[in-house]
Amino acid sequence: MLKIKEGSLQHWALRIVGFTFLALIVVYIPTQSETARIGQFTSAFTLIIAAMSLNMVLGFTGQISLGHSAFFGIGGYTAAILIRDHGWSPGYTFYAAAVIAFVVGCLIGLPVLRIRGSYLALVTLAVAVLFPTLLRWKKLEWLTDGAKGIDSVKYDELPVWPILGELKGRDGRAVFAYWLGLLVLVIVYLVCRGLIKSRVGRSLIAIRDNETAAAVMGVNVTRTKVLIFGISASMCSLAGVLATLKTGVVTPDGHYVTLLGSIIFLLIMVVGGAGTLSGPIIGGLVYVWLDNTTRGIGTDSTGVLGFLFGWTDQSPATLILGLALIVIMLFAPTGLVGILRKLTRRILTVTPSLSSRRTVREVLQRPSR
Amino acid sequence: MTFLKTVGLRASYGQVDVLLGIDIDVNEGEMVVVLGANGAGKTTTMRAVSGTIARSGSVIFDGQEIVSQSAESIVRLGVAHVPQGRGTFSELTVEENLRIGAYIRKDSIESDIARWYKTFPRLEERQNQRAGSLSGGEQQMLAIARALMSRPRLLLCDEPSLGLAPLITQELFEVLKNLNEQDGLSVLLVEQNANLALKVASRVYLLETGQVVASGSAEAIAGDERIRKAYLGG
Amino acid sequence: MERLLQYVFDGLSFGAIYALVALGLVVVFRGTGHLNFAQGEMAMFCTFIIWQINDWGVPLILAVIIGMVFGFVLGAGTEATVIRAVAKKSAGGVFVVSIALFLGLNSLATMIWDRAEGYTMGSLFPNQPFDFVRILGAEWRYKFIGVLAVALALMGLLFLLFSKTKFGLAMRSVASNPDSARLVGVPSGVVLASSWGIAAAMGALSGALVGGINGQLTPSLMFSVFIYASAAATLGGLDSPGGAVIAGLSIGVGEQLVAGYIPGWIGQDLKLSVALILIFVVLLVKPSGLFGSLKVERV
Repeated sequence: MLKIKEGSLQHWALRIVGFTFLALIVVYIPTQSETARIGQFTSAFTLIIAAMSLNMVLGFTGQISLGHSAFFGIGGYTAAILIRDHGWSPGYTFYAAAVIAFVVGCLIGLPVLRIRGSYLALVTLAVAVLFPTLLRWKKLEWLTDGAKGIDSVKYDELPVWPILGELKGRDGRAVFAYWLGLLVLVIVYLVCRGLIKSRVGRSLIAIRDNETAAAVMGVNVTRTKVLIFGISASMCSLAGVLATLKTGVVTPDGHYVTLLGSIIFLLIMVVGGAGTLSGPIIGGLVYVWLDNTTRGIGTDSTGVLGFLFGWTDQSPATLILGLALIVIMLFAPTGLVGILRKLTRRILTVTPSLSSRRTVREVLQRPSR
Repeated sequence: MTFLKTVGLRASYGQVDVLLGIDIDVNEGEMVVVLGANGAGKTTTMRAVSGTIARSGSVIFDGQEIVSQSAESIVRLGVAHVPQGRGTFSELTVEENLRIGAYIRKDSIESDIARWYKTFPRLEERQNQRAGSLSGGEQQMLAIARALMSRPRLLLCDEPSLGLAPLITQELFEVLKNLNEQDGLSVLLVEQNANLALKVASRVYLLETGQVVASGSAEAIAGDERIRKAYLGG
Repeated sequence: MERLLQYVFDGLSFGAIYALVALGLVVVFRGTGHLNFAQGEMAMFCTFIIWQINDWGVPLILAVIIGMVFGFVLGAGTEATVIRAVAKKSAGGVFVVSIALFLGLNSLATMIWDRAEGYTMGSLFPNQPFDFVRILGAEWRYKFIGVLAVALALMGLLFLLFSKTKFGLAMRSVASNPDSARLVGVPSGVVLASSWGIAAAMGALSGALVGGINGQLTPSLMFSVFIYASAAATLGGLDSPGGAVIAGLSIGVGEQLVAGYIPGWIGQDLKLSVALILIFVVLLVKPSGLFGSLKVERV
C-alpha cells in the first residue's frame, strides 16, 4: 500500500497523470469511435447532468423529487419552440431554458418544499404526471403541438468552433453534440462542486441531516431549499436542451419527459453514489452501458444469458437495473463511488495535511454521518 | 435463591466496549439498585438483560440461560423492562398502552387494568388521551403500569426519577416499594438519585466504566465513607 | 338529475378502487412508516397470476383467492428479505428499493406475458349488456355494484382489524415505537411483514376488480389507478385509513363530475390534472393531508 501526503509532489503528479488520462479518453472517443458510440456518450452526458441536478436536491439536501422529468421537459420544449418558431440560434436557448426552469423551479419549490418526506415524494410525483398532460392539453396546442410533439427542430448551420475543425453531415453533428454535451457537463459539474464546497453546501448537508437543527443553527431553511430547487431545475433543463439539440424531437411521451425520466435520474444517482460529486458521472456511464448491452439480450442470446432470458422476446434491461438497484441498496448504500473509494484505499491513501487551507475547510464540512 | 444472575456480561456499541464483564445477582423478592455515574454502563446492563442489545457472557433467569434470547421471548419468561426515557407509545391512548402491555397474555386482563388505574388514579382520568399528551410523571407511571400488565416476575426499571419533580419521584418509589414488599415482585433498579434508591433497595451494585467496583447491602454502602463522598454528595 | 346520479354512482365505483389501493399504501405507511411506490405494480403482477391461474381452468373466484395469498407472500417476503435490511441502513433507501421493485415487477410482467394487445380478463360479477338495475333513472351495472360492495366490505374488515383486534393494536404499537413494542413482547418482524403482506393481498383484489371492469389486462393496468390512489392517500393523510377512503371516493366522484360537466374546456385528458392540482392546494394548507397527523420530530 502506498501512502502519500496531500499537496505533496507525488500527489500532484498523480493528479496530473489522472487528469491527462481522462482528457485522452475524452478526446479519443469522438475522434476514433463510430457515430453510434459517440451518440451513446452524448446521451450519457445528458443523463449525468440530469442526475447531477437531482443529486443537489436529493443527495445533498435530502429533499425527494420525482418531478425532475418536468424540468428536463421544460428545457427540451424551450429549445424546440425557440429554435423552430422564433429562429433562435441553439446556443442561446441554454440561457433561456435555464432562466425559465429556475423561475418555474422556485415557483413550484416555494409551496412544495413546505411538505416533508413521503408527502413530498407524492406531490413531486404529481408534478411529473401533470407535466405531460399539460403538454397534450388542447388549449396549449399552439405552443406545444399537443400529443405529437415538436419533431422538426432543425439548425442547418453548425457553429464553427476552430479547435474542432470542420464538422459536416450526420457524423459532424454527432461530434458537435458530443463536445457541446461535454462542455455543459463540465460547467454543471464545476457549479455543483463550487456550491458543495462553499458555505451553501454545508447548509444543504445540515438540512439533509437534521432540518430542525439546521434552522436552529441559523440556516435559512426555506430560502436555501427553494433556491437549490430552482438551481437544480435550471441545471436539469440544460440536459433537456441537449437532448433536443441531439435528437431534434420532443414529445410528451419522450423517455425522459415522463415520470420514467425522474425514475431513471434517481436510479443513476443512487447507483453511482448519492450525495457525492462523482457519483452521477459513474452512474450515468454505467447506466448507458448497461442499457445498450442488455438491449439485445433475449431470444437470440446464448450461454448464461440465453439460459436466463432466452424464454422471452422482451429486453430484460429494466429488470436487471431494478435488481442491481436493490443489490446496491443492500450491500453498498454509498453506490459505486463508495465501492471504488474502498478499493483505491487498499492501494493508496492520501493523508491530509492540516496546513493546507483547503483541507481544513474540507474537515469542517465533512458530513456528520 | 438467586433469581437473576449475570456472569461476565459484556456488550458494546460498535467498536466501543461498554460492559466489560458484569456480575450481578438478584434474589427472588429482592429489590436491588445499580448506582453509577453517567456512562458507567447502567442502562446498557439493563438492556443486556432484557435483550434489546447484542451481548455475550451469561444471563441466567430462573435457572434458564437467556443471553442469546430475543427481547420478545425474554418478556414472555417474566422479565419486564421499563426503559430509560419511558418508551410509551405516544400515538396510542393510555388504555391502549396498557392493553398492549399485556400482549403476551392470553387470559383476561380487565382486572389488571382496574388495579393499575387504582394505583395510578391519574392514568384513569386520562385513559382515552394519547400517551404523547401526558406529562413526564404521568408517562413514567404509564410506562411502569404497562410493564406490570405483563405480570412480570422481575421488573427492570431504568431511572424512573429522570426529569421528574421530587414529589412525583417519591410517589413512584412508594409504589415500587409496595410492589416489592407486598407482592413480592423482584426489582432491578437503575438510579441516579442514590439517596432515594438506598432507602428502598436492599442491596447495591456500584458500576464504574463497565465494571462492578463495589457491592453490598444498602446499609453497608450507605455507611462506606469513600462511597458516600463519591456518590452521595458527602 | 339522472345524469348527476349516474356520474355520482360511476364515480363511487371508481373511487372505491382508488380507495382500496390507497388503503394499501396507508397500511404499509402506518405499519412501517414507508411509502411503497410498488403498490400498484405488485397488484398488477398478482392480477396476472390470477389471470394465469384462471386461464388454467380454475374458477375466477378461486383464482382471486389464490392470487391474494400469492400477494400476501410476495409482500411479506419482500419486507422480510429486502425492505427490513435496507431500512436498517437508511429510511430513504426503502423508497429507492420500492422504485426498483416498481421497475422490476413491471419489466418481469412484460417479459412473461408479452402480448402487446393484452389479455382478456373475466369479471367477478355478471357483465352482460343487460346486467344492470335502474335506480332513480341511473343505470347501476352489477359489476360496479359488486366492486363497490367488495371494496366497502374490505374497508370494514380492515377497520375492525385495526381498531378492535389485538393484532391491529400490535401493528400500531410497532409503528409508534418499535423498540418498546419488542419490550412488551410484540414480534415486530411478523407484524412488519404482515402489513406489507396485507397491503399486497388487497392490491391483488383491487387488481382483479380493475381488470374485470376494463375487461383487459396489460402491464400498465394499475399505473393510472396508482396515481389516483396516491393522490387519495396524500389528500386523506398517509396514516389515516378513513381519510384514504373518503378521499378516494371523493376523487372518483369529482373526476366523473368534472369530466361530465365541463368537457369542452378541460376535457378527458385533464381530469387527472384537476384532481392533482386540487390536492396541491389542500397540501399547502395542511401539509399532512386532511386527516393525517403531524409527527413531532426530535432534534
